[in-house]
Amino acid sequence: MASCAILLLIAGGTGLVVNALRPASSRLPWANDWSRHIEAKAFQAGIPVTFLMGVRESLLDEDIVVLDARPYEKFMEGHLPGAWSLPIGEVGERIGDYVHLLAAETPLLLYCDGADCSDSLELAIELRGYGFSDVTLYPGGYEEWQAYGGDIVSGGMP
Amino acid sequence: MTRPVRPFYIWVARLAVGGLFLAACLSKIHDPQAFALVVYRYRLLPDILINIMAILLPWMECVTALAVLFATARWRAAGSFLIGGMLLVFTLAISLNLIRGIEISCGCFSTRADVAVSDGWNLFRNVALIWLSTVVFLDAFRRMQAQAEERPS
Repeated sequence: MASCAILLLIAGGTGLVVNALRPASSRLPWANDWSRHIEAKAFQAGIPVTFLMGVRESLLDEDIVVLDARPYEKFMEGHLPGAWSLPIGEVGERIGDYVHLLAAETPLLLYCDGADCSDSLELAIELRGYGFSDVTLYPGGYEEWQAYGGDIVSGGMP
Repeated sequence: MTRPVRPFYIWVARLAVGGLFLAACLSKIHDPQAFALVVYRYRLLPDILINIMAILLPWMECVTALAVLFATARWRAAGSFLIGGMLLVFTLAISLNLIRGIEISCGCFSTRADVAVSDGWNLFRNVALIWLSTVVFLDAFRRMQAQAEERPS
């Protein structure tokens, strides 16, 4: 037992020293406010999230509609394959088209820029308010998809 | 008195357990912020403990792996005991998330986003590693006892 405690002390001490010596950009603070994290907000709102591998599978599923919550200019520069544009600021004007085109139970996958943007979460909450029941959030968003090297499509909607 | 020759499988078990834990700690030490996100996604710890876990756990893996690979019987026994304990906790955490339907990658060997989601294979691998760490622990424990008996009273 004493040996176990010594190993744990060595490990803990090394971890703390190495973390303290890291450059500020990569140093981990003792605690983060994780409640402000986009995934925590989605969890609190009862909106399921999916991650990169889940998105890869979703893009192969023709039943799932992918919605890009970023401004239309960003969508035109590049978006996930098959995605439709529905900027959070234009939901009021354009939701009529989507309600007309999509059944309420259509599975929707939403994304925006990345982990620091909340547009897709706000859109998810709004869409649920309009009766869409199967809404999933991709918190990694366009930035993670691009960093992963996933296919990017530029130009208008399919 | 000559010591018994250590069977080949003990070396294999030490190499497998120590080597895998050493490999597992590298990406976590390299990118603690990404690992903190992995820990967060398990949704098992209170927020206040997530970063502390992300700072300490990789080094626990590193130190115990080095003990299993290179240290004397006493430290090997301690290292393999702690690795067995960590594996039990990891297995429990992955099982809970599978039951709760939370689809995340286990973050075992990589903090990258493009790692496959955890499944039964992760549990099988962990059970195999628990068995191997037990083998290493029992061997080291027996050697500790043998060394204690050899010492003049």
